[in-house]
Amino acid sequence: MEYRLRIAKRMLFNKKGSLIGAVLAVTIGILVIHVNFVIFQGLFDAIVRDISNYRNGDILITDEEDYIDKSDQALVKWFERIPYVKAATPRLSSTASINMTKFGTMYEKTAIPIVGVDPIQDILTSTVHETVSDGQYVYSRNSIVLGNIVAKDIGNAQVGDSLQLKIVDRYGQDQIKRFVVTGIAKAPGGQGFDYSVVIHIDTLRDLMNRPGDTGSIIVKLNDPSKATEVKNFFLASFPNDNFKAETIEESAEQQLAGFRSGIAMINLIGYFGMMSSAFAIVTIQMMLVNGKTREIGIMRSIGATRKDILIIFILQGMIIGAIGAGVGTAAGLGYTFYAKESHMSFNNSLPLEVSYNWEKIIQTAVLSFILAIIASLYPSYRATKLLPVEAMRNV
Amino acid sequence: MSSVLKISNLSKIYGTEENKVKALDNVSFSIQKGEFVLIVGSSGSGKSTLLNMIGLLDRPTNGQVFIDTIDTTNLTDSKISTFRNKKLGFIFQFSNLLSDLTVLENVLLPAEISGNIEFAEKNARELLIAVGLEDQINKRTNKISGGQAQRVAVARGLINNPSIVLADEPTGNLDSITSLKIVDLLKSMAKKLNQTFIVVTHDSKIFGDVDRVITIKDGKAFEASVPSNMGLLI
Repeated sequence: MEYRLRIAKRMLFNKKGSLIGAVLAVTIGILVIHVNFVIFQGLFDAIVRDISNYRNGDILITDEEDYIDKSDQALVKWFERIPYVKAATPRLSSTASINMTKFGTMYEKTAIPIVGVDPIQDILTSTVHETVSDGQYVYSRNSIVLGNIVAKDIGNAQVGDSLQLKIVDRYGQDQIKRFVVTGIAKAPGGQGFDYSVVIHIDTLRDLMNRPGDTGSIIVKLNDPSKATEVKNFFLASFPNDNFKAETIEESAEQQLAGFRSGIAMINLIGYFGMMSSAFAIVTIQMMLVNGKTREIGIMRSIGATRKDILIIFILQGMIIGAIGAGVGTAAGLGYTFYAKESHMSFNNSLPLEVSYNWEKIIQTAVLSFILAIIASLYPSYRATKLLPVEAMRNV
Repeated sequence: MSSVLKISNLSKIYGTEENKVKALDNVSFSIQKGEFVLIVGSSGSGKSTLLNMIGLLDRPTNGQVFIDTIDTTNLTDSKISTFRNKKLGFIFQFSNLLSDLTVLENVLLPAEISGNIEFAEKNARELLIAVGLEDQINKRTNKISGGQAQRVAVARGLINNPSIVLADEPTGNLDSITSLKIVDLLKSMAKKLNQTFIVVTHDSKIFGDVDRVITIKDGKAFEASVPSNMGLLI
């Protein structure tokens, strides 16, 4: 094996152009996979992050049929006794109509999603308060935070403006309340409350005529990997209630399903790129075999078997694969590092959730190494088919 | 003396049924151990074809080649390779060294292929000293002269202590002074190692006295006894 490896290395390293070309082919194949992963998986993870941070938490508790009628404070305290739980908060949702008069013109918008929050617990559990770009988050029963799209739709409402909100309560009666705008929320990525308004949960309960009712409890964990464990523990602890508990993957499944297939498609394109690099290796190695025809004839004439020749060129494939996988992985990790450190964002707005997926990184490197070996099989086979006398005539 | 090579009714036909070319026509002879034999003939006479058959680089259409009494006719490709490696040494017209390897590595290669590497490096160094290349051992073969390259080829042909060394126009690509040096080298190595040499050449004069001369003409072999002026016999 020693002399075959030596010949394989020398033949390859003495043809630097071919070596660089083949290594570049593998490197680019790997880099495409890494770039795709950073951008598209980063985007997917960013959306999951935002859904989790703004809307659903790591676990979302709802009632199977109606509103949760158990005390929200009791449930929040129950969760906060679990060491894995960071915080929990109640939320209530409905739709409302808003009208505002500005400079003599009345603006009205109907069917606006409205979310009721507990100002203290919500800040501990969710990061939606960080999306308030102007003014401040809900802090009293009279505060209202408008999503920036809603604010635009009702005549560019600003902090300090007065508006009127109308809700149909549980008995079908209109409930009207006047608010002063305390904040405008704006979050990139579409998962924030840009199209909603946020008020105090008790105010919304009053308006809906649902004292003590809660729409959902969102639970944030210190360790999101324990979500299933906490969820099962919760359901087991309240067997007679009609609770529904979902992890983020379950509660956001509908929103993420399309993305998942999109990522699968992008990954497929990446793997096709890798296949293209394998074809490039086939071409380059065929050139190497053609360039070394005379040498193959010489080796055969002094006793090298077809198997020896096969091994020499497969070893070349392994060398190309190993160097290409190393360089490609290093380049991919460099890009991932850059994306992470520079807080790369999608469309200059949504910050990507960049992570090092070591399983995928190793899998990509190993796959490209194996592909390089597979790609070298045909040129190696062709090399074995050369007849010594004819091969030696080649100059 | 034992016969290291026996050729029996060897024929080689190229081309199709309608357009046949008989390169070798029923050639038979045998060669004893330690003989220095020239195969001579004009260009296109079939002498290189004959050498390729003896060297198991090509298969005959008919007939048999026995090397060390073993019939090589029906050996598999893998066994033929092993046979070439262990029983035959080759010296080609253009030396045919691997330019990616050093002088020493080229000489070592047949030994490494055979797996007998225990004393191979020592033997290779001794052979390189014997051919006068002890100061070129670690040079790449594209950095040495044509004469030096041919000396490396001689050392490589002898490294596995083969039964027969086959040389195809070993001086064909060299100037006359270098050619004479290579001829001297071949003859001295043959004598020193009691090694069988079969040399194909179109320039038999420079070889002087040899044990036997086989002349190939129109694919047929004619043998003369020990010649004094071989050139006149062709």
